[in-house]
Amino acid sequence: MTLGEQPRPVRPTVVGTTPSMAGIDPILEALDPDRSRPADVVHSKGLTLSFGQKRILSDIHIPFRRGTITALIGPTGCGKSTFLRTINRMNDKVTGFRYEGDVTLEGASIWAPRQDLLSLRRRVGMLFQRPNPFPMSIRDNVVAGVKAHQIAKGKQLDVVAEERLRQVGLWDAVKDRLKDSPFRLSGGQQQLLCLARALAVGPEVLLLDEPTSSLDPISTELVEGLLRQLTPALTLIIVTHNLGQARRASDNTMFLYEGQLVEHGPTEELFERPKEARTEHYVTGRMG
Amino acid sequence: MMAQVMRRARSARRITAGFRTVEGALWQGAARVAVLLPLAALLFAVTILAIKARPAIIVNGWGFLTRSKFDLGQSYATTVNHIHGVAVPVGASYGAGALIAGTLESSAIAVIIAVPISIGAAFALTERMPRWVSQPLGFFIELLAGVPSVLFGLWGILTLGPFLATHIYPTIANNMPNVPVLDFFRGAAGHGEGLLTTGLVLALMIVPIITATTRDLFSQVPPLPKEGGEALGMTDWEVARRVTLPWVRSGIIGATVLGLGRAIGETIAVAIVSGSLLASVAPNAYGTFGTLAAAIVTQLDSASTDGTGFAVSTLAELGLILAVISVGVNLAARLVIKRSTRLGAPVGRAT
Repeated sequence: MTLGEQPRPVRPTVVGTTPSMAGIDPILEALDPDRSRPADVVHSKGLTLSFGQKRILSDIHIPFRRGTITALIGPTGCGKSTFLRTINRMNDKVTGFRYEGDVTLEGASIWAPRQDLLSLRRRVGMLFQRPNPFPMSIRDNVVAGVKAHQIAKGKQLDVVAEERLRQVGLWDAVKDRLKDSPFRLSGGQQQLLCLARALAVGPEVLLLDEPTSSLDPISTELVEGLLRQLTPALTLIIVTHNLGQARRASDNTMFLYEGQLVEHGPTEELFERPKEARTEHYVTGRMG
Repeated sequence: MMAQVMRRARSARRITAGFRTVEGALWQGAARVAVLLPLAALLFAVTILAIKARPAIIVNGWGFLTRSKFDLGQSYATTVNHIHGVAVPVGASYGAGALIAGTLESSAIAVIIAVPISIGAAFALTERMPRWVSQPLGFFIELLAGVPSVLFGLWGILTLGPFLATHIYPTIANNMPNVPVLDFFRGAAGHGEGLLTTGLVLALMIVPIITATTRDLFSQVPPLPKEGGEALGMTDWEVARRVTLPWVRSGIIGATVLGLGRAIGETIAVAIVSGSLLASVAPNAYGTFGTLAAAIVTQLDSASTDGTGFAVSTLAELGLILAVISVGVNLAARLVIKRSTRLGAPVGRAT
């Protein structure tokens, strides 16, 4: 294959899926936008976290590969949500918050003095357990973050709003009521709106904290389908209580138990051939 | 409204028909009286006011609302005029224009100053301070709401007014640009009695009630939308402005109206600090003036010397206008709330 014969997409698919190509064509390698970036977008390096005297997470080592979906499973109170909320530093303001170890985003510590908290949160988006639209119009909800980060303004905002609402499949349902309140939408539609809002600022990583726990099965399926479409452009980490969802929607799974990372690996492997007895107990429903 | 209350009372009787004990019957009766008493009192007060004001309304006409005049006429004269069958002292002439304007101006100044301060204080109390600071501070603010208004008036005339007139007003008056609206703050700085001082004292009096109400509203905003804003990379200020405030907008308008109502009706503090003029508006922000409520309390004594009763009747008419303004402000606020809640979520609504 020579240059020009078959245009290669500017943004390659998941790094690592075409290892041979990089060796064959150094020019293409040079064009690769991810060339100098680490393959692991987010990397937890021995993270230990406590609130006051209470230790929540102990020595968590885990990398998150670019463009993958990682499911975070474990029984209630195991520290899943706390781990997730560490990555965009939502825990920092909790009284008694202390941490050891490090979490990196693109190789740089998220707590580095040069790391601006607001731009970290632009790069690491979040979707919550329940839809949380702002008290403003549907259109303004989508572009709220865009306005805050001054990414676009004026007429461009309408373009962004339409683009993102189309991306989450909400456009046709709301295009005639963009100026209406979001609180009249169904729960599933509200959650999609929040997804559109999170995507609008162009994050690299999306954290999802049980995003479908308050939704009906049809909306859940819709959201799960959307998540798959977001990769490989985005890296997703999803906390879920729903083992079926973890199995259906993720590439990798990590199992947390009492603040410790018991096991992590490709989802299929972890569910079919767990290495640890505790993992097996949990995924087979004997514990949880 | 009366019919509605009666209907409710009747349906209540149906539900609880058949008392087992005498106490039950007594309790039922007492509850019914308690429900109707405030309504009856209000209707009674307004009716009496209207009856008393009737002669004044007939004689003074619509011009009363725009004219600025307060002349009791010859109270001790032996002859009286009869206008439309009403006995009126010779030379008596009244107009409430200046008083209506003064009431609206001073209340507007109070609200403009008090609302931002109250919202800021409420926000700091709920979002910025640890509990052990905000709780006693909140209690203190509520305590401030209970200070008798005459003390505010005394403090305004003895301390605040002279201080402002000596140290603050001259600087503002001399440096304010000569453009519309702002030129109202130019000119003679006065002696401390007047419009701006009254506005400030009133603001101080309504800050506690607006702050306490707004604080309760803020603490009811669910955390999830606020976290959503933070997670999106908004600053605390942006979260406050775009999420928290809009969430409780209608409630804040309600709290403002509560404060405005108090400012419009405040009597004794204004009577002390305003200068208690009756027939002229303040030439600038520092000028003396008068309000409807203050005029009633300061003029009641001399009005009772009018043997025809016409002066007292005129004061009743002032009271009636005051009531109409208060109710009008309330209704207008309700309209605003209706409009502004289109996008906001009702307070406490789960998301």
